[in-house]
Amino acid sequence: MNLARVRGTVVATKRSDNVEGAKWLLVEECDQKGAGKGEYLVALDMVGADRGQVVLLTQGSSCRWTLRTDDRPMDTLVVAIVDAIDQAGSTVFALRNEE
Amino acid sequence: MVLARVKGTVVCTHKPEALEGLRLLLLEKVDAVSLKGKGEYVVGIDSVGANAGEIVFYVSGSSARMTETTKGKPSDATIIAIVDVIEKDGVLTYEKSRAGEGAQGA
Repeated sequence: MNLARVRGTVVATKRSDNVEGAKWLLVEECDQKGAGKGEYLVALDMVGADRGQVVLLTQGSSCRWTLRTDDRPMDTLVVAIVDAIDQAGSTVFALRNEE
Repeated sequence: MVLARVKGTVVCTHKPEALEGLRLLLLEKVDAVSLKGKGEYVVGIDSVGANAGEIVFYVSGSSARMTETTKGKPSDATIIAIVDVIEKDGVLTYEKSRAGEGAQGA
């Protein structure tokens, strides 16, 4: 799973994905400290993530292993909101330290 | 899912029967903020009726076979949505209804 930061939302009414109540997030891939890499993806929100939060992405066919996305054409999901990341004993990212 | 702009169509006479009748569209990946093309092109199968100039997003890999249009078809990139609005940090970076005006368009 890759780390990304929620940057915004995408609205699309004409769709063929068959996912009910879908909310599309614009996410920017980021490093373990939360720094953005300038690469953006559209991801289906599974957890109610908000703008600014660092989240975990599931990509590829594994995206279909949820009840909502079973047999749906999905390849990028937001599956978790990151609270903290520890690297070699020190906290390199913490939700509570974000403004 | 990856954001891209529809740049044109691809016509193939010699192709597997399973691809008969499907629209192949030429897509250029775009930067999500500036909406400018990145110069990276892919060919995607249309499942939503997208037209040239529109911003869409597509699914890749085995998930590309999961639309009604592409069930059981050898697609690894399928357009699944036509984008109306992109919002980043509270600012609208793209509105389809205004895409013809100024730099936000093609």
